[in-house]
Amino acid sequence: MPRQIADGLYWIYEAGPDRVERFELDRRDPDWYDPDHEVYIPQCAYLVEGEDETLLFDTLSPACTDHVLDALADLVGDRGLDYLVVSHPDVPHAGNAPAILDAYPDAELVAPGYGNDHELYRLGEATHVTEGDTIDLGDRVVEFHEATFLDAPVSVWMTDRRTDTLFTVDWMGFPHLGGDALRFVDETDRAFDVEQFVEFHSRVLFWYQYVDVETVQREVDALLEKFDPSIIAPSHGLVIREDATDYVELMKDVPGIVDRRGRVGTLG
Amino acid sequence: MAVELTPTVEWLPQCYPHENDGRDDHDGDGSDSRDDHDGDGRDGDGYHEHVSVYLVRADDGDILIDSGSVYHREAVQASVDAATDETGLDALVLSHSDYPHAGNVSPLGAASDDVELVASSGSPAQQGLPAARTVSIGDEERIRGRRFSFVDPPLADRSHTTWIYDHVDGVLFTADGFGAYHPPERCEATSADFEDEIPAEAVFEYHRDNLVWLRYVDPAKIRRALDDIFGTYDVTAIAPVHGHPIVGTDIDSYLEGFYDAAERIADEYEVDV
Repeated sequence: MPRQIADGLYWIYEAGPDRVERFELDRRDPDWYDPDHEVYIPQCAYLVEGEDETLLFDTLSPACTDHVLDALADLVGDRGLDYLVVSHPDVPHAGNAPAILDAYPDAELVAPGYGNDHELYRLGEATHVTEGDTIDLGDRVVEFHEATFLDAPVSVWMTDRRTDTLFTVDWMGFPHLGGDALRFVDETDRAFDVEQFVEFHSRVLFWYQYVDVETVQREVDALLEKFDPSIIAPSHGLVIREDATDYVELMKDVPGIVDRRGRVGTLG
Repeated sequence: MAVELTPTVEWLPQCYPHENDGRDDHDGDGSDSRDDHDGDGRDGDGYHEHVSVYLVRADDGDILIDSGSVYHREAVQASVDAATDETGLDALVLSHSDYPHAGNVSPLGAASDDVELVASSGSPAQQGLPAARTVSIGDEERIRGRRFSFVDPPLADRSHTTWIYDHVDGVLFTADGFGAYHPPERCEATSADFEDEIPAEAVFEYHRDNLVWLRYVDPAKIRRALDDIFGTYDVTAIAPVHGHPIVGTDIDSYLEGFYDAAERIADEYEVDV
């Protein structure tokens, strides 16, 4: 079932496979790991509900089509879905777009305006959004932004102005213990460890191993200045609703750790 | 049309036509240089980007590397049918599940009893490939009797991408790495068909547009990673999905051009504080 994050903002969650064996966590035993638990890097989608209209940000993966359709039906009911936003056309983010559009044929497909090959992703006919574009849902407005840290060029980030939530897509993801699914970071049994960010970014944003550390740190500072978020809603981690900027600050440590230690491992 | 790359590897090129986007409108007239003076592969009629697949003639069957985009579905199927005398494939190996690479898995019969599907992913169901035989980066596997290594790619646009090295002919399949835009008349050109070399500007613009994260890199780190790969594997040809195949002695000059491009991408980016 989805979880409410704030008024009109809901979190839909897919665990994906247990990562303990593939990440060799029993052998490596990082401080954040507990051998009594499974470990997940989730897929997350978010529903934003305004007075007049509803918007879904990302779709989860095709492994849980029924789950996301059931969650959507629970959340929007007879109101229906007005906008389906695809942050980027990666299968775990966009894989249920056809099924959702079949279920809600009046929903408008919204896609990143960045990149130059939308037809290869069947996004040629979508509404394309770039930095500063907004959608007014009635009593709240979401705004779109050029994705800063990304994998593919056809990408976009989003903010919900009412709650100052920043949807960071692939950035600021992290693995969590099985018992913490759908918990906010401040609710987990163990304190958050920067190594969770390192585990994710060195595997998934694999290019962190090649970056100029100071350039990335300056970029994080620029993000803090630009957004000053109250809530971080990542696509591959738990929602951060307290001291959100402290976690963004923590991301400045990640490239240096990856630089010193090298990549933890691959994802696939 | 199939272009023979090595004795048992063929290139099946497909192209996506980009409309002229005016970004290289050097003379300010609203169109790019009609005669492609800057050598970036973009002329006034627009420019192309390959979205290719490759056919490997293994001892025990025909293997396709990547499956192309839905945009090219009919053309890819026709190309594969022609290359296999209508008998179809025996295996499909995916570099990753990105739509321009994995858009024709089912139409090509992959993951059926007759056509093995091989992919690198720690979560194949989440990648939409629940029936794939999964391989891990770093693995060496035999597919239809042919020996392949799955290589951690320094250049990619998705986390689960693998490069694929063919040990028989020495071809390195590099997915999104090492691409280049090209003008409409060079769709079937390999590096050997260029009088000098694949234009440096076309290499730069492709990587700037498609591997956006290169703006953050220390180019020396990328060079070290690539040196490791080319020192480990005896590469006779580079087979990118989005560019001209790079063959023989052209590899070294292409790599130097790529390193220059990577430095330029990083140098030209400034954090907007």
